[in-house]
Amino acid sequence: MSPLPWLVAAWLFGIGLYGIVTSRNYLHLIGCLSVVQSATYVLLLSAGFRWGAGPPIFQDQPPGSLVVDPVVQALVLTDIVVGAAVTALLLVLVLQVHKRRGTVDPDALRPLDR
Amino acid sequence: MSGETLLPLAVALPLLGAALLLALGHVIPKRASDMVALLLALALAGIGAWLAREAAAGPVTHWFGGWVPQGGRPLGIAFTADLAGAGMVCFIGLVFAACFAFAWGYFEPAGAMFHVLMLVFMGAMAGFCLTADLFNLFVWFEVMSVAAFALTAYHLESSAIEGALNFTITNSLASFMMLGGIGLLYARFGLLDMPALGRAAAEAPGEMVVAAACCLLLAALLTKAAMVPFQFWLTDAHAVAPSPVSVVFSGVMVSLGIFGIARLGGTVFAGVPAAQGVMHGLLLGLGLASALLGGVGCLQQRHLKRMLAFSTISHTGILLGALALVSAQGKAGMLAYLLGHGAVKAALFMIAGILLTRCGGIDEIQLRGRGRAVWPAGIVFGLAGLVLGGLPFGTLDEATRLLDSAAAEQGLPWLAAPLLLGAALTGGAVLRAGGRIFLGWGRVSGEEERAPTEEEQEPRDRPLWLMLAPAAVLLAAALGLGGPIAHFALTAAGGGEMPAETPNPWLPWAAIGLSLLIAGWDLGRAHLPRWLRAPVEAASGPAFALLDRLHTGRVGDYVAFMLAGLAVLTLGFMLG
Amino acid sequence: MRPRLLLALAAALVLVPAALLLAFRMPEFGAHPLPYGDAATALMLHERHVTNMVSGVNFDLRAIDTLGEEIMLLAAVGGAVMLLRGARGEGGQRRAAAIPGRPIPRRSEAVVLLCRLLAPVTLLFGLYVVLHAQLTPGGGFQGGVIIASAMLLVWLGEGYAAWRRMLPGPLLHALEGGGAALYALAGLAGLALGDAFLANVLPPGESGSLLSGGLIPLLNLGVALAVAGGFAMLFLEFLEETRAPEEGEE
Repeated sequence: MSPLPWLVAAWLFGIGLYGIVTSRNYLHLIGCLSVVQSATYVLLLSAGFRWGAGPPIFQDQPPGSLVVDPVVQALVLTDIVVGAAVTALLLVLVLQVHKRRGTVDPDALRPLDR
Repeated sequence: MSGETLLPLAVALPLLGAALLLALGHVIPKRASDMVALLLALALAGIGAWLAREAAAGPVTHWFGGWVPQGGRPLGIAFTADLAGAGMVCFIGLVFAACFAFAWGYFEPAGAMFHVLMLVFMGAMAGFCLTADLFNLFVWFEVMSVAAFALTAYHLESSAIEGALNFTITNSLASFMMLGGIGLLYARFGLLDMPALGRAAAEAPGEMVVAAACCLLLAALLTKAAMVPFQFWLTDAHAVAPSPVSVVFSGVMVSLGIFGIARLGGTVFAGVPAAQGVMHGLLLGLGLASALLGGVGCLQQRHLKRMLAFSTISHTGILLGALALVSAQGKAGMLAYLLGHGAVKAALFMIAGILLTRCGGIDEIQLRGRGRAVWPAGIVFGLAGLVLGGLPFGTLDEATRLLDSAAAEQGLPWLAAPLLLGAALTGGAVLRAGGRIFLGWGRVSGEEERAPTEEEQEPRDRPLWLMLAPAAVLLAAALGLGGPIAHFALTAAGGGEMPAETPNPWLPWAAIGLSLLIAGWDLGRAHLPRWLRAPVEAASGPAFALLDRLHTGRVGDYVAFMLAGLAVLTLGFMLG
Repeated sequence: MRPRLLLALAAALVLVPAALLLAFRMPEFGAHPLPYGDAATALMLHERHVTNMVSGVNFDLRAIDTLGEEIMLLAAVGGAVMLLRGARGEGGQRRAAAIPGRPIPRRSEAVVLLCRLLAPVTLLFGLYVVLHAQLTPGGGFQGGVIIASAMLLVWLGEGYAAWRRMLPGPLLHALEGGGAALYALAGLAGLALGDAFLANVLPPGESGSLLSGGLIPLLNLGVALAVAGGFAMLFLEFLEETRAPEEGEE
């Protein structure tokens, strides 16, 4: 099935967004954000895939063997670091919100009082 | 030194400085990090100016690692400085330098960490303006965002943390959308270099993959630029960030979203008619909507930084409107407006910072008359308000004239009027706040009384002149350098000569008149007869209430609006 | 139904069909040409003598991306540290966190023994992963995280006080900043020699040997230092956060 990987990426993107829109807990919301991000992993890795090709490592296969695209794998590595960075920051923010407001429900908070 | 050697230093120097400050933060003297940061910002401005000189003869390109293209196929990553990019780098350096001078000693409690983050922020912005590689653009976009997320929450008040959370979540989603767009383009063309992608896309203009990628990339950059309906995060974040950080946010960061759209529109999607059509049609509409929404929202606020944040939405909408004209003159107008507005808005946020430290508050109504103690700041504030409102003098005026004649050329002679209406509303709001705070006028308040606000204060830790001087310099530059900046923008955009006369020469006068009328109306509310006041309030009340109800501060709502925005962009492409 | 859900549904009515349509218009999965990837593979294999292509792309062909990525991590860790410290300040505590009224369980000897055995092995494995970046899967990021977890084993086995003594905050900051600075300086070396920024100025060596790839091992070392320092710092600050607030603290 050719469109399946693309559909998986789209599904992850959509379901993650659904989770963010309906979330009542910041920790859950951060998880959903990671789901949205994994859609980009799937998309990038699918874009670099090639049937019948090996990993782009030539330690144990002769030079000239058919390999998948190493560039997208490098991009995904960057993407993973982005995810780690953003998640760490978000967790810190949620920790501080919880200390101050005693809740992690996004709908219970307002950035400025009125 | 040749421009080609200098090009990577625009990014490498700030990042190296940040790394070294972090490593040595515990051993160097306290003031050293202030000094290092200021010098690096000035160095960046110098690099930008030098690059602009070199780029006048043609774009300067640097291939990282020496990977020059082979057989016309790009291999590595290039930085390309054209005149516009080099000018932006210079501008970024100047705004950061002003900001570091303004914030001298302010962030001592955070040790060197504040400067580390600010230098990372600066280097990433320079990279964003210079890179010619799509994925590299994403990297700088994200580095910029991560530094900004952390800086927003610096005060650790609950409002600051919540503003930072909304900022982080919406902008992270934007970056994932951007990456999705890059993934689609890579799957289709196997390329990341922007000019090469542009050539490839021009040969496959009708393909849905290209349109979808354009959709996602536009949504991401419109979120960064805070355009309707992606704008909600901005007011939460800018209102709560420390004032030196807000200076950079509103002065440069937001408009980089528009600059990014201009970059992509001029390279990757230059040969895709559908993308150009959406930019010319839909983005024009979004720009108009943002200009008006920002203006109305601005008028409704009492929290000064939130007011300025709404005004940033309005003026960025004007930038988008100018860009959406898809003409050289429009682009020149955009560039000039970007530079002028950035300087004025940075100055205004600095005055807000002065009020926070000197008068112990940021609320327009509570501060009534308390600004008299810092009257020189009032002069800068009032002048900046007049400039925002459309004062027919200086950079913003030159840019408006460019915009006006570009619009007329495209058969849209009415376009400048609604855009300037947005500007006039923001000018009115800022002048009202100025009159109330620095002159003590406006005892009776109107709609703004119901707006959200907060007690806030920043420590009184540095002399007034040190805070005021950068603001005054920026404002003076925006006012005095109008001619040269417009000339520069026209050269950068290849837009020919400055138009001798504009189709609507009365427009700036009307705008500034309206600004003064609005400010006068609000301040003199007590003296207005009831029969005059009642109908206006009946008309404006529901609009204000609706806008207030939309800005809920809840991230779920914001994300739903982002989805709606993405859907609108998709429809724009589908319906052509 | 809440208005926001209605809005999201309305958007989905447009976006879902568009995404479905797009999935069928995408290039054939696994069968479309990969020009960039193939060019990168050929270049790294023959001109740089590396066998792990992903490292070749990350640390040579697109090395500036990785500088940005490393700096992003530095900014995130720095920001997290700044926000966690907040009012608490930086001062290292001599005692671990304790919730009043809850006894601190003694570490069992099995845990201590296991950690003392595992920590050096983990450290060694991390170094192995870093040093073999150009040969086998792995590299500075992966190895750096493994090294950081070796540091955590020190905490688990030796206790909080010993851990803070061995790995003080300023040292971790120095590792983090120093690693990133090493990367940037290695990039400037190319510029100083009249070549491009991040040019691979060292000889490519022999394919399959530890010293192949020219500058790639050095860049990986920089990343590994930064990542190890950064993640240990994050752990340290999150741990401090579990300390019960003292008088006068929030």
